[in-house]
Amino acid sequence: MKKDDVTEKTLSRRNFLKTAGGVAAVAGLATSGIPLMAEQAEAAGDALPKKWDETYDVVVIGSGFAGLSAAIEAKSAGASVVVIEKMPVHGGNSIINGGDFCAPGTKMQKENGVQDSPELMLKDMLRAGAYLNHPDLAKMVAFNAKDALEWTESYLGSKYTRLNFHGGHSVKRAHGTVNSSGSEVVNKELAKAREIGVKVQMRTKLVRFLSNKDGRIVGIEVRTGYRFPDEGSGKTAFIKARKAVVLSSGGFSRDVALRQVHDPRLTERFESTNHPGATGEAIQAACLAKAMDVQMDWIQLGPWTSPDEKGFGYVPLFCERLVGYGPMINPKTGKRFFKETGNRKERADAIILVGDPVIIMGDSYAVPKQVMATMLQKGMEAGAIKKFDTLEVVAKEYNIPVDIFIREIARWNSFVEKKKDDDFDCMIFKDAKPTVTAPFYAARLWPKVHHTMGGLVINKDAHVVGFDMKPVKGLYAAGEVTGGVHGAVRLGGVAMADCIVFGRIAGKNAAAEKPWG
Amino acid sequence: MSPGYPAFSKNNWRHMKKQPEQKTLKVFVSLLSITIVFSLAQFLWAAPKLVPSKAKSGDCSACHVQKKMLPDKHPDTKAMNLEACKACHTKDNLNLTGKLPGSHTHQLIGVNCEKCHGKSKKQEALTMEKCVACHGSTAKLAEKTKNVKPSNPHTSPHYGTELDCNLCHHQHAKSENYCAQCHKFAYKTP
Repeated sequence: MKKDDVTEKTLSRRNFLKTAGGVAAVAGLATSGIPLMAEQAEAAGDALPKKWDETYDVVVIGSGFAGLSAAIEAKSAGASVVVIEKMPVHGGNSIINGGDFCAPGTKMQKENGVQDSPELMLKDMLRAGAYLNHPDLAKMVAFNAKDALEWTESYLGSKYTRLNFHGGHSVKRAHGTVNSSGSEVVNKELAKAREIGVKVQMRTKLVRFLSNKDGRIVGIEVRTGYRFPDEGSGKTAFIKARKAVVLSSGGFSRDVALRQVHDPRLTERFESTNHPGATGEAIQAACLAKAMDVQMDWIQLGPWTSPDEKGFGYVPLFCERLVGYGPMINPKTGKRFFKETGNRKERADAIILVGDPVIIMGDSYAVPKQVMATMLQKGMEAGAIKKFDTLEVVAKEYNIPVDIFIREIARWNSFVEKKKDDDFDCMIFKDAKPTVTAPFYAARLWPKVHHTMGGLVINKDAHVVGFDMKPVKGLYAAGEVTGGVHGAVRLGGVAMADCIVFGRIAGKNAAAEKPWG
Repeated sequence: MSPGYPAFSKNNWRHMKKQPEQKTLKVFVSLLSITIVFSLAQFLWAAPKLVPSKAKSGDCSACHVQKKMLPDKHPDTKAMNLEACKACHTKDNLNLTGKLPGSHTHQLIGVNCEKCHGKSKKQEALTMEKCVACHGSTAKLAEKTKNVKPSNPHTSPHYGTELDCNLCHHQHAKSENYCAQCHKFAYKTP
């Protein structure tokens, strides 16, 4: 077959060039090879490899919440399953996630006297999502979240110990894991998957989907022994998916080029809270296999992150506890510039408009009362949160025009006294007091890319939908790689629910497909 | 040109006919030799020669054939092992932590390639079970380093004690601080 020849030739030249050190030339060959293949695919599907290196009923791409949920369900339904993961470790963003799982009408809510319902959760999701959510998808999450949460408890043995609140929800419905990390769930998923016989293979990266002449996805090309981020590393292999492929590769918050296509503001200047592998090549590969993408420009930035620490860091836990108690200041003007209690999107946009980092501050009444002592200490050790004896020193540290700044703090304090903000309508909490008690604490804020709401179009069976508006045969998707569930804004704590609800659906339906060969 | 190449008489008519072909051949051969020399050089400079199992552990040139690895003033290390290195490289002075890939430290205490990779000709990457087999359980290691600041490097809320040793302690490259992808932990990774 012609295509095989192309692949083989590319491979042998690649090997030769690698020893000669011609890495750049290899990159050129590889990229020039792809469009050629795509063109051929247009006519009569992909030429399939003469020999598949491995064969499974269901091939899952990605080892986070969604992928492992899918793998466990597919395996439990009797399918043979492999999970491939491009990174050297499992878990993607799920393993560094904060471990808050939103679900309505649960036992823990009842114990805490919280009245909730799937209808109310759906309403919150739609309102936050600016009604851009695909309603049937959002509904699947809201109405199945409780069952998914209970599955992680009873089947995996995950433990939840607190009920947390997140902005945009009407009630407390985020069930916090015992270790405040998604690892409590994803590590137990991995253990369970392995226990029931799922093969989980790290350092294996998806290169492209392979479809037959009917446009059905029949397998994937991968690179095994891949060493992120070295694109030349690893060896080509072909994995046959007798029933289906489940794509659960996460979002693209770390993919500067791709996110700039959709939101040109998001240059390298914006760090991300995500793990380094959160890039978009799998979404693009799916689109090349005729999957449709949606709402790719709804990219969520966290307005609570600091440029003075890496990743998510400690400042979000400082900032979010202080809003409604202390002011946010634009150092250039010495004045407040936005409603401190505004939602993630409004605040991030406001800071980007300012153009440089702003500060959030509190005094020795608000900070010890609101901020967890260990987090404050760690943030200070990291140098991201600083302590000052006077307001004048704060002004000096951040280059703030001091007179205007002192007057602005006095103005803020007058709003706190009367519990009403005449300037920006910030919600001022009942127990808030004027910012007067030294020492003062402050941190710089600059948004980081946190979640990509857009992604592949799926239906409520987690089946990927193509540009011809029909399901792409043999391809399912779940989690952040999909779009439409959250619309414009994903609420805190709903990612876990989304991933586990749709991961399980994808796994069950993939296992129920008729084998193609 | 190779001596075995048939010579053509300058007056031979065939010479006229052959010349263009010969030129192409010449270009081809010289291109080929450039490529060969280039790839050979790449090989020699980039990748040290695989260690002969009888080589003494302190003999840098046994593997680094082409390149002098130590400064001129450095004493000859041929007969040295790690203990001998430590005569000068103490904890406080000229500390070697993080300076040598892990395989070198292993080699210097007599743990050569075969001891980890076995005798197979095609030596493969290892899992951390190999490390644990000699170094002991990860839980014990985490206990040993529990007071390291700012945070115990051998356990985390994400991976517990089971993050693969090799992600930080590289054996065939400079070690790295895997946590530093997201955290500001200034570990010096041996």
